[in-house]
Amino acid sequence: MSHLDDLLSAYVDGELTPGEEQRVRAHLDTCPECRRELQFIGEGRSLVRGLPPVDPPFGFYERLLRPQRRWARAAVGALAAGAAASVALMAGAAPHEPRVRPNVAQLVDAHTASASTSGDPLSGITPAAVPVSFRR
Amino acid sequence: MAGEGAPTWEDVARSHGRFLYMVAYRLTGNREDAEDLVQEVLLRVRRGLETYQPGSMEGWLSRIATNAFLDDVRRRKRRPEDRLPDEPDWVLPPTRGADEVLAGEVLPDDVQAALARLPDDFRAAVVLCDVVGLSYQEIGESLDVPVGTVRSRIHRGRAMLRKMLTAT
Repeated sequence: MSHLDDLLSAYVDGELTPGEEQRVRAHLDTCPECRRELQFIGEGRSLVRGLPPVDPPFGFYERLLRPQRRWARAAVGALAAGAAASVALMAGAAPHEPRVRPNVAQLVDAHTASASTSGDPLSGITPAAVPVSFRR
Repeated sequence: MAGEGAPTWEDVARSHGRFLYMVAYRLTGNREDAEDLVQEVLLRVRRGLETYQPGSMEGWLSRIATNAFLDDVRRRKRRPEDRLPDEPDWVLPPTRGADEVLAGEVLPDDVQAALARLPDDFRAAVVLCDVVGLSYQEIGESLDVPVGTVRSRIHRGRAMLRKMLTAT
């Protein structure tokens, strides 16, 4: 009989017929190589069987089992779209210049027109309305 | 939709969700793919509960999970057949005594990593045998292969895994 090979895994798993099992035992009695492989295979088997349980992530199934809330997602989407549209409308309706009183731009223009360009701060001052005379 | 007396997919998830996730994780080797596989299994359960026959719920779920996993593998062609290691070096024990490395010295993460490195067909057979606890006959029916093929895949898978852990 040649070496046992995959009969060894079936042997440790109890998957052989009684006749096969008897032949495997007889071979193992005389074959150190197959005995070593039997131990080797048995360790591989035990390592996998000894793996600890693995838990799913917290809340994994709760999320999977949650009812399909398409209406809720649609509502959220509509709300978001509505909010965006509102912002756009408000932006469109707003004046392009800020509503500041007095109108700063006009004041600046007026001041610029009447401002001195000669560097003389008094030249633009309106003369006094009442003439003044001096008596000796 | 579901057959008479068949569990709903919600029942499956609540009663066997932890088991299903563990099988998916052992098959895929990472959490992200495991989550995707669980979702695929639940979808298949939802569609195919009428075919459920009273018996081992976990065996039935494992069969669906394994087929979904292998379907995905074949679709992606992540591991071509020519990568299956046929070299004797992979399946024979090392020359030094196997008892030099004790099982207690091997960390579960290392075992999981070695499991993930097995060819997918080998890993499916090993998981169905050593994680789920199916018989060779049940595994053969699940994978649609003869019992002799199951026996060979399990044996070679175990040998490869054990050798990887010896080398580390």
